[in-house]
Amino acid sequence: MEIEEKLGVLNYKTDKSYAHITIDPVICETCPDRFCTFACPAHCYTVIDNKINFKYEDCVECGTCFFACSHGSVKWTNPKGGHGIKYKYG
Amino acid sequence: MMSEFDVIVVGGGPAGTSAAIRLAQNKVNVLLVDRADPPGSKNVSGGVLWGNDLGKIIPDWEKIIPVERLITRKGTTFLTKDSAISLDFSSRKFLTNRTGYSVLRVKMDLALAKKAKEEGAMVIGGVTVDSVARKDGKIIGIEQDGDTITSDTVILAEGANPRVAIDSGLRKPIGDRDVAIGVKQIYKIPEDKINERFNLSGNEGFAGEYVLGYLPDGVEAGGFLYTNKNTLSVGVVVSPSHLRNYGQMHSYDIMEEFVQHPSIARLVEGGRLEEYSAHLVVEGGLSSVPKLYGDGYMIAGDAAGFSFSNGLVIQGMNYAIASGIAAADTFIEAKEKGNYTAKALSDYQKKLEESYVLKDLRTFKGIENSTWSSMAHRTIPDILERFLFRLNLEDGLPKKHILELLLRSVSESGHNKTSLALEAYRMMRRM
Amino acid sequence: MTLKIIVMMKQVPDAEEIFIDPVTYTLNRTAARGVINIPDENALEIALQIKDKVGAEVTVISMGPPQAEEAIIECMGRGADRGILITDRAFAAADTYATSLTLAATIDKIGKYDIILAGESTTDSGTGHVGPGVAEFLDIDQVTYAESAEVVDDKIRVKRILEDADEVVEVPFPVLVTVLTGANIPRRATLRRKIDAIKKGIERWDHETLGLPPDWIGIRGSPTIVGAVKVPEEKKRASKKISLEQIPEMIDELFEKGIIKREDGA
Ligand SMILES: Cc1cc2nc3c(=O)[nH]c(=O)nc-3n(C[C@H](O)[C@H](O)[C@H](O)COP(=O)(O)OP(=O)(O)OC[C@H]3O[C@@H](n4cnc5c(N)ncnc54)[C@H](O)[C@@H]3O)c2cc1C
Ligand SMILES: Cc1cc2nc3c(=O)[nH]c(=O)nc-3n(C[C@H](O)[C@H](O)[C@H](O)COP(=O)(O)OP(=O)(O)OC[C@H]3O[C@@H](n4cnc5c(N)ncnc54)[C@H](O)[C@@H]3O)c2cc1C
Ligand code: SF4
Ligand code: SF4
Repeated sequence: MEIEEKLGVLNYKTDKSYAHITIDPVICETCPDRFCTFACPAHCYTVIDNKINFKYEDCVECGTCFFACSHGSVKWTNPKGGHGIKYKYG
Repeated sequence: MMSEFDVIVVGGGPAGTSAAIRLAQNKVNVLLVDRADPPGSKNVSGGVLWGNDLGKIIPDWEKIIPVERLITRKGTTFLTKDSAISLDFSSRKFLTNRTGYSVLRVKMDLALAKKAKEEGAMVIGGVTVDSVARKDGKIIGIEQDGDTITSDTVILAEGANPRVAIDSGLRKPIGDRDVAIGVKQIYKIPEDKINERFNLSGNEGFAGEYVLGYLPDGVEAGGFLYTNKNTLSVGVVVSPSHLRNYGQMHSYDIMEEFVQHPSIARLVEGGRLEEYSAHLVVEGGLSSVPKLYGDGYMIAGDAAGFSFSNGLVIQGMNYAIASGIAAADTFIEAKEKGNYTAKALSDYQKKLEESYVLKDLRTFKGIENSTWSSMAHRTIPDILERFLFRLNLEDGLPKKHILELLLRSVSESGHNKTSLALEAYRMMRRM
Repeated sequence: MTLKIIVMMKQVPDAEEIFIDPVTYTLNRTAARGVINIPDENALEIALQIKDKVGAEVTVISMGPPQAEEAIIECMGRGADRGILITDRAFAAADTYATSLTLAATIDKIGKYDIILAGESTTDSGTGHVGPGVAEFLDIDQVTYAESAEVVDDKIRVKRILEDADEVVEVPFPVLVTVLTGANIPRRATLRRKIDAIKKGIERWDHETLGLPPDWIGIRGSPTIVGAVKVPEEKKRASKKISLEQIPEMIDELFEKGIIKREDGA
């Protein structure tokens, strides 16, 4: 089963007015390892045209990317007020 | 100035809810805040709950907490590309010496939050605490959206990714060595089918842990499969440093590799994928435990690095509960004296030193290294596979003694006997 | 005098968590958790925007089971001043007629009001009857399909989104406005306001508070007769990955299967 399909079963309450994680595209541009794309379990970091593309909407808030990125590109905060992932089982 | 609350607890996992329940039962004016709505709906465990500590605050906890199955059968399995080598242990002894129940965290945490509310705690979900509030170096409450809410003490129980504690400088940021990445899937399978597949009856449950010795590029990971009433919890745990240093694998591919292994695929077959989740697992051991208390605050549960993992079994909920209760008890005693300074709250550390929480962490110091050692992931399964294959193969050749077979498997695997024995001995000592 | 706004809010099962039971083909809502009906969040947001601009007292009313209290507290956490839960076993199994009547009686009992805001429809039953129904029972003007609204002097100016046009209307008070799903981005609750909401508490009213005879409410007051419930046959959907070169091939296949047609019918 593809990861996109797996994420498709999840219930998110997306905060349209606040991205809880942001990256610095300038830092990512010259990143030698792009480890975020391997570490993130929700496939939020992808490489498109050799540029890092980040989707906070699919994030399951595991916290991995914050320390997985060793170049200081990731700014990580909790989503605000009940937004984000909402598991049924956990 | 009077504080609005006696205690504010940040986080509605097992640590925070246990603390709030204990505090409310002792007439402490406590506020429990969780960022999820409803509380607990962002939390993930494997999850086998060793819940005996819950008995201290909820005598009939097995009824209050929606437990799934009582674990009566345990499996430890080494997976190689083609084979599965298991140690299967089922015992009626588990019925009287209850080891653990499988649980699903979203239901469990909500039940605990409800209990806290019933006992008199104010429980608020759907609000993220931004930071602690400070005055003259002391912690006097929390900040949220520009408002300060005051309390005599703050208990930080925010889990494995403790932003408030980190951003407030109360603990160092998480690093590769402190945590592992846990990925999990829930499959829906009818109850009778689960019983049939896992050789169970009634509410008996199976808990299996796996060593994934077959991943490409030398990536090492552990796996688990736990039975719930009519779902299966299946997951993998991988160290970020391992993922970083070896190969080009995605964390989510490891999950897929696990469920595709023939011996797992059989067990989840026909199951509908109900949920995919990911969460950090605290791994760091004693070295990642921060200062546990200070003027006006204590840190409990995963946020304090309290967790035990030997690469197979993860225990964290029990430490979370025990530390939550210890923090509550410390506050209750401090309240009698009306003193919430670091000195008064230092009793928290003492309580944890006396309990299994810090004792276990000291006993298993260094285990995190062995956890990911290639010994467990490559060498042992490799040798065992060769050995068992020979033992069970009828090839028409004269039979050999078992020891001879074993030694031959060792030498075939290309390992040096002496260094193998040394490494095995070291690993056993740490486990 | 402060403007008085009433927001009608229904707690509905989270639409993301309702699924069709593969065996019985009925909607399974048991596993779904309660959330605020989405357009009701947008209606509340409009009320709070008016409150921010010209000042107002915002009251949230909801008819539902006791658990709906959480949803009301959330609304107060966002800025509503008062919450009333109309809860009573006697209200159970009300149809849209009895629901509208009960809500109208609640509003009458509240007394003075200038603006009533409702969602356009719910995600669980979705009849869209209740807003207009309440306006009829109260015998006041109504404006439907609002995307935004502001108070201008003694009137409300509403922007309506219609199929083929946008329309701006001005209506004097008292008026009922139904708000479109996604009309705005609702603000978040704050901890301060949620604490205050819990301390203040919500009011619980039953049929006696409202002085409604049992025959008028709940199942007895509901003239709707459900003839039959049909689940539309599920069309199997398939997806596959194809390469760019395969697109023409696939289009041919779609024509063959009659899934797509040429405009000229050829
Ligand atoms: C894959 C996996 C498998 C595991 N298996 C097991 C197992 O089988 N048995 C076992 O005992 N343990 C297991 N664990 C470990 C166990 O899950 C943890 O040890 C346990 O959850 C710790 O509890 P806690 O209360 O400290 O933290 P958590 O359960 O993480 O709770 C923290 C809470 O704080 C909230 N929060 C965080 N920040 C804020 C904020 N700023 N404002 C408001 N709220 C906030 C979170 O939303 C959350 O509800 C497993 C963990 C993982 C990831
Ligand atoms: C044919 C039929 C049969 C039904 N049978 C039953 C039954 O047997 N048992 C049963 O329990 N239900 C039944 N229902 C559902 C019940 O009638 C509706 O849930 C209820 O009347 C509200 O209607 P609605 O959800 O369609 O609201 P809509 O008219 O779509 O809602 C519009 C707006 O009105 C407001 N509103 C609606 N309901 C409330 C409320 N309760 N409190 C506050 N504001 C509200 C909200 O602002 C909402 O956005 C039935 C519905 C239909 C169509
Ligand atoms: S987020 Fe970090 S790891 Fe990922 S591409 Fe950017 S700099 Fe590299
Ligand atoms: S927090 Fe986890 S899921 Fe979210 S973007 Fe980072 S790594 Fe991915």
